[in-house]
Amino acid sequence: MADFSKVSPFQVDPSAIEEAMLLTPEDFAPASEGEKESMVEKRKSVSYWRDAARRFKANTVSMVALFIFLACLFFAFIGPKLIPYSYGDQYRSSQKLGPGEYSEGETLVKNASANFDVFYATALQPGSLTALSKGDHYFTYKGRTYAFTCEKNYEDVIVAIPKGESEPVLIRQADIDPATGAVAKSEPIAVTDTPAEGATELKMVSRVFPHVFGTDSVGRDLMARTMYGARVSILIGIMAALIVLIIGSIYGAISGLAGGAVDFVMMRIVELIYSIPEVLIVLLLQVVLREPLQLWIDHSDSALAHAAGALGSGIICIFITFALLYWVTMARIVRGQVLQLRKQEYVTAAIALGAGNKRIIKRHLLPNCVGALVITTCLQIPSAIFLESFLSFLGLGVSAPMASLGSLCSDALPTITLYPYRLICPAIILTVIVLTLNLVGDGLRDALDPRLKK
Amino acid sequence: MVTYTLKRLGAALLTLLIIMTITFFLMNAIPGSPFLTEKSTPQQIALANAKYGLDKPLIVQLKNYVVNYLKGDLGTSLKMQEGTPVRDIIFHQDKFIISIKLGLLSLAVAVILGIPLGCIAAYNRGSWLDGFLRVMTTVGVAIPGFVLATMLLWIFAVKLGWLPTISGQLPDFKSYIMPVISMSFYYVCYVAKLTRTSMLDAINQDYIRTARAKGVKTKMIILKHALRNSLIPVITYLGPVTAGIITGSFVVESTFSIPGLGKYYVQCVMSRDYPVIMATTVVLSALVIFMNLVVDIAYKIVDPRITLTNKED
Repeated sequence: MADFSKVSPFQVDPSAIEEAMLLTPEDFAPASEGEKESMVEKRKSVSYWRDAARRFKANTVSMVALFIFLACLFFAFIGPKLIPYSYGDQYRSSQKLGPGEYSEGETLVKNASANFDVFYATALQPGSLTALSKGDHYFTYKGRTYAFTCEKNYEDVIVAIPKGESEPVLIRQADIDPATGAVAKSEPIAVTDTPAEGATELKMVSRVFPHVFGTDSVGRDLMARTMYGARVSILIGIMAALIVLIIGSIYGAISGLAGGAVDFVMMRIVELIYSIPEVLIVLLLQVVLREPLQLWIDHSDSALAHAAGALGSGIICIFITFALLYWVTMARIVRGQVLQLRKQEYVTAAIALGAGNKRIIKRHLLPNCVGALVITTCLQIPSAIFLESFLSFLGLGVSAPMASLGSLCSDALPTITLYPYRLICPAIILTVIVLTLNLVGDGLRDALDPRLKK
Repeated sequence: MVTYTLKRLGAALLTLLIIMTITFFLMNAIPGSPFLTEKSTPQQIALANAKYGLDKPLIVQLKNYVVNYLKGDLGTSLKMQEGTPVRDIIFHQDKFIISIKLGLLSLAVAVILGIPLGCIAAYNRGSWLDGFLRVMTTVGVAIPGFVLATMLLWIFAVKLGWLPTISGQLPDFKSYIMPVISMSFYYVCYVAKLTRTSMLDAINQDYIRTARAKGVKTKMIILKHALRNSLIPVITYLGPVTAGIITGSFVVESTFSIPGLGKYYVQCVMSRDYPVIMATTVVLSALVIFMNLVVDIAYKIVDPRITLTNKED
């Protein structure tokens, strides 16, 4: 049996080596069970993503940033469902309220609400600026449906169910004592169980909610607007980053893989776009595209036009801008990665086995630069939010009654001396979103591509 | 070197030509005519179009622009300041000078503050000062320029009353402070971040160890050996900074009521003053392209190892 243990590295004895080199038939015997077992790996193999997740979790700063960002997502996407105000509605007598304040009517109802179980749509509540209009209404409370008919238009009335009773009453706001909240008089409503055809449903509000961030000059709740604006900004960021990801990675992969003259021309185009001061072109594009887009949205029946109409021409312009100008960084990064990867043996093997370019890009190149793609996309989101807010601040982004964090800041600027909080709230949310996304992106970079860690 | 510079100059001119073409077609795609007002009749519009050569085919108009620009003639304004030569609007009125002053100051602040801050952070790596600078730069690159500008305006002009709310034509030192801070803060932070990273890279190199072994003082090592080698990423970044500062000027000018070129550009686009839009775009683009060119050549001076001919990958 070949046995090198007797060969000393210090005293080389040729005969010992010769002896050791002698192979016996035993050397070719199948491995025993015990030998096989010792070859099996004891530890489960860790996948790339699990490994990256472990590294990311170990990064305290990024984890904290991730949680704060999730809180922002909660604020932007779940928050609007929790507050009774909506971003576009103008609430009567609620103009120019400070943070945490109630309007006059809301204070009255708040004081009176101690005596009642439940309040229904009044002049205070969303979507009922004219209070109760003439016609049929209904609402449901504790499983029972209450339907009733208004004989005339009411202003400033409240439908309420007194504590311990089951029949609703109609209270005029003037009958509530401003100081104590005591109700001077109320009239009972005749209710039936089945609502008439076409009756409007009233939205239940059991508690009056303060305007946490205050309201603007036309009585819109600023917290609702900030939530909405944050949602718009985040969605724009994500969409724009995806557009950049798709265009940039395809362009970069083709350029890197093709090489030669194709690569040369494609990279000159990238360089050209790179050296265009994009903001000038973006401003021009915004003005140029706005009207044609609006026309297209108004006159086309296609589903795409309807979807675009829901977003508004300003946002579509931003997407187009990203699709035209902002993919170059991504394309450069992907090309660099592809140039590195395509010299690897497994790509040569794939080519030797007859794989086409499409398959090589899809199966071998893109999956292997996924780390770089994720990092660049993640860092693209805050920069898209930056650009969107910048354009909205200049009055070229989203248009009213829609709002984004940038347009909220821009709206607040003229009245900064009187109502600074109108600017501060959206500005802080915007900064926190961008900051946390940057930190999460940095953490992802460290986790997905440890070679880059400095 | 000379061939390279000439090549790059040629590419820069080509880029400018392409930017001119894009701008030309974009601004002609803006719906409506610059002469369309409530009172104007079709005849008047046709007359005005003929007067300024807007009735000619687009391709001829574009050719005229290029030929005139080569001659140094930027045309005359159609709307904003009717009849005034665009060259006077851009170079002889205060707008351009104000914007350039602000831009250069901000660029200078970004470099003069950013690089030393990065050095200090790298030099005191791991100390509280490094920690503080890291927090500052991380937060700094997350604050949009207009947020910073409006916050400064609110705190120092509205609340404390130390600085003027309207900077206007920048009459005194005080009126510069807030615009320059809000334009340069982001870049100060970014440059400091870059410098710190590349400085730490440089410090780990062998020649630094050699210098240390020879007994050179740490300060000298940083200033003489590490700094020069860590400047390359910072220099690369100066091209985008120039473009970014032009962007920043749009916001800062509208926040602090400064009658600069950025604000004027937006107004021109809105009123379709074709020759002014074209001239402003070309001048600002030329600035950015020129800066990129300077950066590429500055590379070579800072690090002779870089071969300029194939700097692709």
